[in-house]
Amino acid sequence: MNATCTPSTCAPAAPSGVTESLRKPLYNVNGSADAYEVRVELPGVPKSGVKLDLDDNILTVRGERASNVPEGMKTLHRELSPLNYLLRLRLNTPVDEDKMTAKLEDGVLTITLPIKEAAKPRQITVN
Amino acid sequence: MKLIRSAPSALARVSDFDEWFRHPFAGLPALGQFFNQLGEVFPGVTTDKLAVDVHEDKDAYHARFEVPGVKKEDIKVELNNGMLTVTAEKREKNGDSESSYTLSRSVSVPDGVNTEAIAAKLEDGILNLMLPKAEHKKPRTIELN
Repeated sequence: MNATCTPSTCAPAAPSGVTESLRKPLYNVNGSADAYEVRVELPGVPKSGVKLDLDDNILTVRGERASNVPEGMKTLHRELSPLNYLLRLRLNTPVDEDKMTAKLEDGVLTITLPIKEAAKPRQITVN
Repeated sequence: MKLIRSAPSALARVSDFDEWFRHPFAGLPALGQFFNQLGEVFPGVTTDKLAVDVHEDKDAYHARFEVPGVKKEDIKVELNNGMLTVTAEKREKNGDSESSYTLSRSVSVPDGVNTEAIAAKLEDGILNLMLPKAEHKKPRTIELN
């Protein structure tokens, strides 16, 4: 699995000339013989703000933060990024799209991508 | 400890909020650096600094810390001698092995905060601390007679 672009170069087709800065989230990929597990850190993103899409072997994760600064508040100090997240990963193994699951917990999105039967390693019995 | 009101353009400068966000070693840069480098020398004792945002409204100060993947029970908020310390232990499971590391940040609590009423909430990987202002510190209108 490879990151296909940096956040600055892979902004999705923005509506009519609006550009948006996005940030690439931290992520981790673990693989086993049966499935890949992708963990993406999306602090500040509620469940409703996560958009997940698998198209043409490109997995796209988009996270929209809940409003960052509550109304009527004055910012005194700022270190957290206000940007939304975008991560695109190219899959090099066929995965079973229908069995793909995702879970958002404590600001971490865990995506499980089961590998297609045909792509799994198998043993051939010698007769 | 004072909070100085300044122009918004100056707010971006971290140094303006040194008073607010004093790291225990802020006054001793060399020592602070030493602790920051400690992790390179002794892997395993790294304590990274947690990033924080602070907002203010008329009733309270609000501090937000980013702690993705940290469970409620692994977060400790401690108030000691006017310093509020947040420690978050992050556990990561990779198959059979499990690793953990600790992030922490100390914040000096401004005058006029009702320390008894500090509240904390964890949501979507963000820890929200609410530091309510004591009654007498809130802005008020003085009636003319």
